[in-house]
Amino acid sequence: MIGPILWLALQLGRGAAGPIDPAAAAEGRKLYNRDCTICHGLEGTVGDRAPALAGDRRFLRSSAEELYDAIRNGIRGTGMPPSPLADAEVQNVVAYIRSLRAPAADTVVAGDSERGAAVFWGKGDCGRCHMVRGRGGILGPDLSNIGGERRPAALRDALTRSGRRLPRGYRPVKIRMRDGRAIEGLVKNEDSFSLQVLGARDLQLHLLDRSEAAEVIYSDHSLMPSDYARRLTAAEIDDLLAFLARQVDGRPQP
Amino acid sequence: MKARIGGIVLVAAQLAAAQVTFDDLGRADPSNWLTYHGAYDGQRHSRLRQVNTGNVRGLAPKWIYQVPGAHRLESVPIVANGVMYVSEPNHVHALDARTGRLIWEYRERSVPERGANRGVAVYGNRVFVGTPDARLVALDARAGNKLWEVKLAEASEGYWCPVAPLALRDRIVVGIAPGDDGLNGFLDAYDAETGRRLWRWEAIPKPGEPGSETWAGDSWKTGGGDTWLTGTYDPALNLIYWGTGNPAPDFDGDVRKGDNLYTNAMVALDADTGRLRWHFQFTPHDVHDWDAVEIPVLVDAPFGGAPRKLLVQANRNGFYYVLDRRSGKFLLGTPFVKLLNWARGLSPEGRPIRVPGVEPTPQGNKVCPPTAGATNWMSPAYNPDTSYFYVSALEGCGISYKSHDTFLPGGFPYMATGYVESPEEPWQMHVRALELQTGKLVWDHIQVGSRAYGAGLLSTAGGLLFAGNDQGFLTAHDARTGKPLWHFNTGQQITASPISYAVRGTQYVAVAAGGNVVAFALHEGAGSGR
Repeated sequence: MIGPILWLALQLGRGAAGPIDPAAAAEGRKLYNRDCTICHGLEGTVGDRAPALAGDRRFLRSSAEELYDAIRNGIRGTGMPPSPLADAEVQNVVAYIRSLRAPAADTVVAGDSERGAAVFWGKGDCGRCHMVRGRGGILGPDLSNIGGERRPAALRDALTRSGRRLPRGYRPVKIRMRDGRAIEGLVKNEDSFSLQVLGARDLQLHLLDRSEAAEVIYSDHSLMPSDYARRLTAAEIDDLLAFLARQVDGRPQP
Repeated sequence: MKARIGGIVLVAAQLAAAQVTFDDLGRADPSNWLTYHGAYDGQRHSRLRQVNTGNVRGLAPKWIYQVPGAHRLESVPIVANGVMYVSEPNHVHALDARTGRLIWEYRERSVPERGANRGVAVYGNRVFVGTPDARLVALDARAGNKLWEVKLAEASEGYWCPVAPLALRDRIVVGIAPGDDGLNGFLDAYDAETGRRLWRWEAIPKPGEPGSETWAGDSWKTGGGDTWLTGTYDPALNLIYWGTGNPAPDFDGDVRKGDNLYTNAMVALDADTGRLRWHFQFTPHDVHDWDAVEIPVLVDAPFGGAPRKLLVQANRNGFYYVLDRRSGKFLLGTPFVKLLNWARGLSPEGRPIRVPGVEPTPQGNKVCPPTAGATNWMSPAYNPDTSYFYVSALEGCGISYKSHDTFLPGGFPYMATGYVESPEEPWQMHVRALELQTGKLVWDHIQVGSRAYGAGLLSTAGGLLFAGNDQGFLTAHDARTGKPLWHFNTGQQITASPISYAVRGTQYVAVAAGGNVVAFALHEGAGSGR
């Protein structure tokens, strides 16, 4: 059994990891949008005089202590001044900034994860390609830890925005072989001489020499649809996001 | 050229045909290397003959795969239908076996590394691997997705799993480590589909069970006897053969008087139930850490004038044993190393006739072979064409010490001290060929400069025996004479066993060396003996 104080110390030691108190983050959001946006942008976006606090950019100051120190004491040599906020208020702003960067699992996501599971395996048909905890398909990435890896905004983008970057190992390809065979699938790996392809139809690996291919046609468009805003209702998308946010390796299944 | 692909039809994963069946495992088609030993019999004999005594001089490296972060792989690569699976603790890499290109990689998160990982098992479309925190994990063989995992034992108690699992019909058999910490061993079978445990065989009998009388007092509770190397299987008898590890504390036998069953033994278990059919204990009441986990090699051959189902093993204690694998009956035992001072021989039942006083003392005492063993985890091989059994042998002695130790739960050494190399007999590695039925030395190759063990052997129908060593050399010997016909310096210590396989008509020989997997084939233009 791990004591609460030790637990807290571990969470602080891990920096940005660990659950975030949603109430504190909500309070912090109000304070942030009131006091910080003269330099930083609204809702953590880039501002006129200071950088965005949300997003994928890696900041030197990312742990709760570092953020607290920057707000409480300012950052010398920059335009970041010490804050006049009370300590508890600073902690709330820290919670909000961490929530901007936190993976979905550590944030409060609207929606019902049980209904989201039904969407995942049912109407959304996500399990055709994606696996969660040993169930589902193998063409798409395994989502068993997706809640621990992606921010909520990135999850929403994946469902609703086209033109996303293809992750390595998932680029679609159509190969016409010199012997007349046609292979369609995903490029798991490739080089100037060989291709390692997971067949989209037979779900088997095809390990090919490039010299045996008459034509290799790549696609820049993921097999993953991006029109879930049309396929699903707004509530269903929220539910699906809630389900995905709960998927973390090593945590009990919802 | 780039174009959008439309209309790719997606099908459900379960429609894909199973890749590796029980029949495949039994047939052991030589183009694959489907199990730790290549085949259930543990012979490590490839029936491929494209590379042979006539052309092996043309063997050349085809590709090298560097396993990121690895420096001492003990993994025996598994090859199924052109895909090679290589493991290390927490990682599995699926490679194109013809090019060495990565197809997928599986990483365990947040699990501290511990010990070695000796390889995976394949069954259906699945890959099975043990973890440093004593779980068995099933992965999809095509994409590396985790399908299920089961806890073999409590990692917090100190257990871990370096064992390459053994796939049988619809079930995966796997052992456990480490007995040196006073943790009792077992052998488990799990349903390949669901991960449900089907049976467990406990290596140390509890009070009231047969064999418990071989443990004084409560010493059985911390008796050891783990199962850290992969055993073999006879499908006709439906028996699993698995060697067990040493008793604990290793060097102090005073606290565990008795034979200490079933440590340092060969056990034959019913594959359906896990029930013990027979056992043979090589070193009763061991005080030298002479695990008997070395590979039980199954051979059908005449013995005493009649055809017989044999099980042979070169044991860490320095003796080569021939048993009847139906009954466990001892047929023959003879030393395969010259430096052996602890026993005068074996009784008609196979029990060692001990030389009094050759055991660890507080001041130190010479024991030959040393605790490192006359051989160890490195696999032997058997060639049915020559009828020779091949073994990596260590000639040397140790000075063994003894003290008192207290068992600490949580995975701490419970060994009651250890050993050092005897300065009077510098350690020397050999590759040896023995006559199967007699254990008589046929040829002896000294691996000059090699003083540490680790590299196993591979026999091929091309009349070759492949061996490795701690200096990084992979060597091909004439299987009949031992004459080295080819060698290659991989540049890193070899502590795994080589394999052979074929893709699209080309035979490959591959081995893990240091942190690399190196694959060889005949140099194009070197001529082939197909």
